[in-house]
Amino acid sequence: MKPKTFCSIVAAGVALSLWPRPMTGQDLTDVAAIVERANLASYYAGSDGRSRVRMTITDSQGRERVRQFVILRRDAADGVDQDYAVLFSRPADVRNTVFLVKKHVGRDDDRWLYLPSLDLVKRIAAGDKRTSFVGSHFVYEDVSGRGLDEDTHELVETTDQSYVVRNTPVDGGSVEFASWTVWIDKNTFLPMKMEYVDDGGETYRRMEALDVGEFGGYPTVTRMQVSDLRSGGTTLSEFQNVEYDLGIPEDIFAERTLRSPSRRWFAIR
Amino acid sequence: MKLLDEATNLSIRYPWAMAVLAVVLTVALGSQLPRIVVDTDPENMLPADQPARVLHDETKQAFQLYDLIVVGVVNESDPDGMFNPASLARVHQLTRAIEQIDGVRRQDLLSLSTVDNISQDGLGAVRFEWLMRTPPGTREGAAAIRAAAERLPLLEGTILSEDGTALMLFVPIEEKRESHRIATEIEEIMAGFDGEEEYHITGLPVAEDTFGVEMFKQMGIAAPLAGLIVFLLMWAFFRSFALILAPMIVAMVTVIATMGLLIGMGFTVHIMSSMIPIFLMPIAVVDSVHILSEFADTYPQIGDRHKTIRSVLDDLMTPMFYTSLTSAAGFASLALAPIPPVRVFGVFVAIGIVLAFLLTITFIPAYVVLLSDRRIARLKGQQDDAHERRIIARLLAGLGPKTLVNSKLVLTVTVLVAAASAYGISRIQINDNPVRWFRTSHPIRVADRVLNEHFSGTYSAFLVLEHEVSPDAPPAFEAAVVALLDDAVRAGDVDLTERWGALGQSVADVPPEGRLDALIDAVFAEFDLASDAEAALWDEVLIVLEDAQTAAKVFQTPAALAFIEGLQLELQAVDVVGKSSSVADIVKTVHRELREGDPRYFTIPATAAGVAQTLLSFESSHRPQDLWHFLRSDYRAAAIWVQLTSGDNQDMLRVTEHVNRYLESHPPPEGVSVDWAGLTYINVVWQNEMVSGMLKALLGSFVIVFIMMLILYRSVWFAILAMLPLSVTIGFIYGLIGFIGKDYDMPIAVLSALTLGLSVDFAIHFLQRSRAIQRVTGDWRKTVDELFAEPARAIMRNAIVIAIGFLPLLASPLVPYNTVGFFLAAIMAVSCSVTLILLPGVMGMLGKRLFPSALSSESTS
Repeated sequence: MKPKTFCSIVAAGVALSLWPRPMTGQDLTDVAAIVERANLASYYAGSDGRSRVRMTITDSQGRERVRQFVILRRDAADGVDQDYAVLFSRPADVRNTVFLVKKHVGRDDDRWLYLPSLDLVKRIAAGDKRTSFVGSHFVYEDVSGRGLDEDTHELVETTDQSYVVRNTPVDGGSVEFASWTVWIDKNTFLPMKMEYVDDGGETYRRMEALDVGEFGGYPTVTRMQVSDLRSGGTTLSEFQNVEYDLGIPEDIFAERTLRSPSRRWFAIR
Repeated sequence: MKLLDEATNLSIRYPWAMAVLAVVLTVALGSQLPRIVVDTDPENMLPADQPARVLHDETKQAFQLYDLIVVGVVNESDPDGMFNPASLARVHQLTRAIEQIDGVRRQDLLSLSTVDNISQDGLGAVRFEWLMRTPPGTREGAAAIRAAAERLPLLEGTILSEDGTALMLFVPIEEKRESHRIATEIEEIMAGFDGEEEYHITGLPVAEDTFGVEMFKQMGIAAPLAGLIVFLLMWAFFRSFALILAPMIVAMVTVIATMGLLIGMGFTVHIMSSMIPIFLMPIAVVDSVHILSEFADTYPQIGDRHKTIRSVLDDLMTPMFYTSLTSAAGFASLALAPIPPVRVFGVFVAIGIVLAFLLTITFIPAYVVLLSDRRIARLKGQQDDAHERRIIARLLAGLGPKTLVNSKLVLTVTVLVAAASAYGISRIQINDNPVRWFRTSHPIRVADRVLNEHFSGTYSAFLVLEHEVSPDAPPAFEAAVVALLDDAVRAGDVDLTERWGALGQSVADVPPEGRLDALIDAVFAEFDLASDAEAALWDEVLIVLEDAQTAAKVFQTPAALAFIEGLQLELQAVDVVGKSSSVADIVKTVHRELREGDPRYFTIPATAAGVAQTLLSFESSHRPQDLWHFLRSDYRAAAIWVQLTSGDNQDMLRVTEHVNRYLESHPPPEGVSVDWAGLTYINVVWQNEMVSGMLKALLGSFVIVFIMMLILYRSVWFAILAMLPLSVTIGFIYGLIGFIGKDYDMPIAVLSALTLGLSVDFAIHFLQRSRAIQRVTGDWRKTVDELFAEPARAIMRNAIVIAIGFLPLLASPLVPYNTVGFFLAAIMAVSCSVTLILLPGVMGMLGKRLFPSALSSESTS
C-alpha cells in the first residue's frame, strides 16, 4: 500500500492526507492553514480510496430508508482535481446506478448519472452543489467538498481539542446558509462537527463525525450523521471496508465506462 | 307543580334570601369564566375516533401534510402581469419574510422563490436549480422564469396562474389554531409593500381560525347589543326601568351561570357553544315578559303586589313550566346528534332554559316584592296611557273576532302555505363551506373569489391510495427461497437451510412492514462472512428477496402509477377540480427532462426500476422532501392532491361521487383501497352527520313535545293544536330556505331546535289560557275576546321583543349570526301569527270536541 490514500464521501468522508504527525503542542493560528489541512484531511487522504457506504435516511417520523453504494476516489494531486464514482447496490431497484463527479478546483465540476433501467447516461449541468445527495440529508457539496475560496474563514476559538472556524460565504445568494461553523480536530484535522446557520440566525443543520477509525495510517471518519434540525430528519452514513492507495486506474472514472462498471474495483467482496 | 309553587311562595316570603342566592350562583359559576378554553376547529365537529377523521390525521402524518395558508399576489395592470422585475422582487421579499414567521414550516413553503426547476442545459445535460434564487433584474429574466415554471405541471395553476397575472404562495403551518395569528403577521408584511400588486389571504384554516376570532368579538358585541335592544323594547312596553331590570338580571344570571358551568366542567367553548348566550337570552326573557306583561295589566285592578304576583303566577305557572320543558327538550334532543360540540351546545342550552325557568319563578316574584311602592305606583300610572298598549290592544281587539269570521279562509291559506312549504323543503340544498360563513365583502371571501378565478383552486382534498398487506399471510418469497435451498442440498452443494431458519427467527420480532428489509440486511451480513460457495447461494436468495422487496413498493410500479394517472384524468372532468398532482406527475416530468425534454417522454417508465431511478434523480434536487407528500416512504401508499376552486360541500360531494362511479368500472390494483382526506372533505363528513343528526333530533323532539302536550292537556285534540303553530312555522321557514335558495348549513340545522322550542311556547300559553277562560265563560266568542286582551298581548310583546331585539345580528360580518337574527325574527313573526290567527278559528270549528261540556271542571295543574 502506498503511503498516500483516501476514499469516502460526505464532508469528513475519510482520512488525513498528510500522515499523522505528532503534534508539537503548538496551536496553529493561521486560519488559512487550518482550513487547508482540514480540506486535505477530509477529502484528499491518499492518492485514491474505496469504501462501502451504508446510508440510512430517517425522516421526522422515524421511518428509515437504506441506500448502499460503493464509492471510489482518485486524486490528480493533493488539493486539486479529483474523480469520484458512486455505484449503488441497494435497494435493488437502483442497483448499478452510477454517479460520477469530475471535481475541478476553481471551475465547475462535471457530473454524470447513469440510470441502467432507462439505459441513460445523463450529464448533469453544473450549477448549484447544494442539492440533495440522492434524497439524503447530505448535499453534493458534502460529498466532494466545498471550495475553500467560496467562504471567508475566521478562527473563532481554539479549545483543547478543536479549532473552531466560522465560514461566511463570499456569495451569500448562492447558498441557503448565512454561515457555517466547523469544529476541526487538532490532531487529525478532521472536521468533527459542522453547524449551519440560516438568515434568521437559527442553526438548522448539523453534521457530526460519530466515529473515527484509522486505515492505512489515515484517520478516517467511519460514521457521519447529518441532522435537519427543522424537520427532525437525519441521515447516517457508515463507512465499511475503507481502503486507501489501491492504484485505481483513471479509466474507471471515464464517462464511457459508466454502462459497464468494473466489477473488480466496485466489488467489495 | 306543587313544589314549584312552593318555591315561588318561599321566594315571596324571603325575597332577600333569593337575591343573595342569585348573586352567589352568579359569582360561583361566573368565577369559572376566566378558565375559558376556546376551540374553533371545525374538525372537532367529529369525535376524535371518527373513521374519516382518523384517516385524515393518518394521511397528514403519513404524507407529512400541513394545513395551508394561501397567499395570492395579483398584478393586472402590468402587460407581463406578475412577471416583471418589480413584482417578482416583492414576491421574493414576501417569501423571505414569511419564512421567518414563527410556526411556518419554511422547508415546505411553496413559492416561486422556494421551488426547484428542472430543465435542459444544452449538450443533453439536465439541470437542477432553484427556479428563482434571486429576483431577475430584467423583463427577459422574468419571462424566462415564467417559461420555465410553465413547463412544470406541479407548479402551473398552483403557484402561478395560467395568464401570469397572479402568483400564489402556499404557506404550511405547524398548528392550525395559529392560522389567524400567522395570517395577521403576513398581512402586516404585505401592508408594508407599495406597488400596483393586490394581496390576498385565504385558505380553509385561515377562514376557520379567523371565524373563531371574529366569533368571539361578535359574542362581545352582538349579545350585549341584543340585550340592550331587548331592554329598550321592554322599556317601551312597561315604562319602568326597575321592573324590566328583572328579566335582564334573569337573562344575565342564566347566561353567566350556564357558561360558567360549561367552562367549569372542562368543556371547550366551540363555535356552537359560543352561541349559547345568544340563544339563551331570548328564551330567558320570554317567561319574564309573560309575567311582567300580566303583572302590569292586572296590578292596576288588584292593587296589591303580593296578591298580584301570586295571581299572575297561578295563571302562568303551568304554561311556563311546559314551555320551558318543551324548549329544553328541543335542545336536549341535540344530545342525540353525533357531533360532540352540538351535543354540548344542546345539553347546556337545555340546562340554561331550566335554570332560567327556576329563576323566573323565584327571582322575579322576589324582585317584585322588593320593589318600592313608589316605583310600582309609577308603573300603574304609566300603564294607563302607554302608547304601545293602545296600538297593540286595538290591533288585537280587532283581530280576535275576525279570526272567527274568516276561519275557513285562514285555514285554506294555512293549507296552501303548508303545501308551498313542502315544495320548498323538497328543494332545500344541503351545503356549507366555512369560507361562506363570512359575508361576500369580507377580505377572505374576496380573496377566495379572486384566487379561485386565477388558479386551480385554494381548496385541498387528498385522494389516498393504500395497499394493505395482511400481516398473517405467509410471505410469497418464503416458498421460492426454500426451493432454492432444497435444490442446493439435493445437488450436494451447501446446506443453508438451518441458517435460513435462524435468520427468519432473528427478524420475527421486527414489525411486519419492516421485516423483509431486516431479513435482507441479515442475509447481506451472512453473505459478507460466507465462503464462496455459500455466498453464491446467498446471492441467489438475495435476488428472490429483493424482487419481493421491489414488488412490495406498489406505488413505484408502472401499473399503479398508470392507475393514478387515469384517476387524475377522470378528476379533471369535474368542473370544480382545478388540478390534481401526484407522484405520477413528478415521475413523468423528470422522465421527460431526462430525455432531453422531449414531450413524447412525458410518460411513466416501463419498469419499476426505471421509475425508481427517475425518482432517484428527482431526489437529487433542493426539495427531495416534496416527493413524500405524494408517496408514503414505504411506497405502499400514495396521495393525490386535488385542488378545488370551491369548498362547497355539494361540490366536494360531486367530486367523490364522480370518483366512485369511475372506480366501479376501473377497479384499483389488487389490494389497493381508495379513500378521501383533507379539510374540504372532512367538512363534508361532519356536515352530513350533522344534517342527519339534526333531522333525527328534530323528529325526536317533535314526538317528545307531542307526548308532553298529551300529558299537559290530557286531550289529543289540544295536543294536536299545540303542535300546529310549530309545525307550520318550521315548515314555513325551511320552505322559505328552499325557495330563496339559501343553503342548508350548520347554523340553519341548529336553528331547527330553536324554532321548535320557541314556536311551541305561544301555543301553550294561548291554549292553556283559552281553556281556563272557556271554563269560566263557556262561550268561545267571549273567550276569544278575553284571550285577545292580556294573553294575546303578552304573546305579541314577546314576539316583538325577541324579533326586533336580535335584528342587530343582521349587521354582523358573520353569516351564521345574520342567519340567527333573521330566524329569530321569522320564528317570532310566523309562530305568533299562526297562534293568534289560526288557532282561534280552528278551535271554534272543533268546538265540542275541545270543550265537550261548558261546565267541564277538569283540572290540569
